[in-house]
Amino acid sequence: MKRIWTLARNDLLCEARAKQIAPVMVVFALSLVFLLTWALPPGAIRAPVPGPLAGAVGAREIAGILMWTVVFFAAVAGFNRSAAADREDTYEGLLLAPVDPAALFAGKLTGNFAFITAAEIAIFPIFMLFAGASPGLLFPGLLPVAFLGNLGLAAVGTLFTPASQHTPARSMILPLLTFPLSLPIILGSARLTSSLLIDGTYGTEARWFILMSVFDIVFITIGAATFEFVIQE
Amino acid sequence: MTRDPLDVTQTLLFLSMVAGLIAVFFLVPTEAFQGVAQRIFYVHVPAAWIAYLAFAIVLVGSVAYLRTLDSRWDFVAYASARAGVVFTVINLITGMLWGRPIWGTYWVWDPRLTLTLVLLIIYLGYLAFRANAPDETRGAKVAAVIGIAGFAVVPLVHFSVDWWRGQHPARTVIRPEAGPALPASMLATVGLMTVVFALAYLVFLALGVRLLRAESEIERLESLSVDSFPLAGGGQG
Repeated sequence: MKRIWTLARNDLLCEARAKQIAPVMVVFALSLVFLLTWALPPGAIRAPVPGPLAGAVGAREIAGILMWTVVFFAAVAGFNRSAAADREDTYEGLLLAPVDPAALFAGKLTGNFAFITAAEIAIFPIFMLFAGASPGLLFPGLLPVAFLGNLGLAAVGTLFTPASQHTPARSMILPLLTFPLSLPIILGSARLTSSLLIDGTYGTEARWFILMSVFDIVFITIGAATFEFVIQE
Repeated sequence: MTRDPLDVTQTLLFLSMVAGLIAVFFLVPTEAFQGVAQRIFYVHVPAAWIAYLAFAIVLVGSVAYLRTLDSRWDFVAYASARAGVVFTVINLITGMLWGRPIWGTYWVWDPRLTLTLVLLIIYLGYLAFRANAPDETRGAKVAAVIGIAGFAVVPLVHFSVDWWRGQHPARTVIRPEAGPALPASMLATVGLMTVVFALAYLVFLALGVRLLRAESEIERLESLSVDSFPLAGGGQG
């Protein structure tokens, strides 16, 4: 446990000093937010839906997917950036240290989780501002959604980022591997977010919490079990 | 003289394919509502089954490879992934051709269609990764992890797209409670075509494994010759 924390702290400390990853993620994500919120009809998300208003509900359903698309691409940009920082023999050093690969995975996972969360703290308010959603709809309901979603994205990303770095087309391979594998997480987060945007509750979409939890457990287990093969030289 | 089992399998494949095509086009009755279009069923469904089988074999080969680090298992997984992608593409294309006259559209965002597309993208990612991995052993290990994670995520993707929306018809053949919903002649034809596809899969798998083994043998011989003749190999450096 202490080792996991040491590893995560190392990544976060490097980032706090060098500021390599978070600015890239945030700037990239914000430009996507500007672009994607143009797709939403003006005022469609401003107030609670008064009744069976198909157009307003449709815009809110789209908004959930748009928001998590931004998070996904920001996360991939962050993984690529952090891998670039790690490429300089970091794993050779870490493998020499007497640390269990599962603990390495957990440490990297914690760091990636923190990066995604930090990016979201910048993305979500701006997204809601441009989409015209009132903060009362999404908070605090979005917090457990973001927790499970970030955990799943971080698990998939942590597992496949070092794997993709030794291929010539690494920045193309990483989204190609992570997108289909993280689809349940993205769909679940988007559905729950849309439901919150529609009426401020999870409604019938609450079942996605089960699927997302199962996904997180499956991927953390696979990651911990196979991380040693991914990072071996 | 012993025969190469691959030759025998290929002969069986050819004979069963002729029989299967005769059954599909001449023997089995035309379906009452969909007409001739329904005959694509006999290609569409077996291709899907064999694709699932191929990806299950990728999982088995990947787990066995990571446990033993015996590259024969890796060859099985790699060759099976290639074959699985071929069968998935056959399944998707025949499905789209079938959907156009019956649903009126080539594509809908239905759970089954979406899941199959996601499967295809996962294993295309697997193949793209392998094609780009510069180091064979390293590439094989990572590919095995993708093979395991890819198959593990399949049921989750299935649930997630199922909760999203639906149009694909329910099962007609494998129904444990009610039994098959097809007449015997159609059932026999789909069974025969499944045998054809299974034999085709075996041939693809065997050829793929032999090809990969030959490639690695060539690489081994090349590295050997450089080591054995340092002046010939390292003369430039």
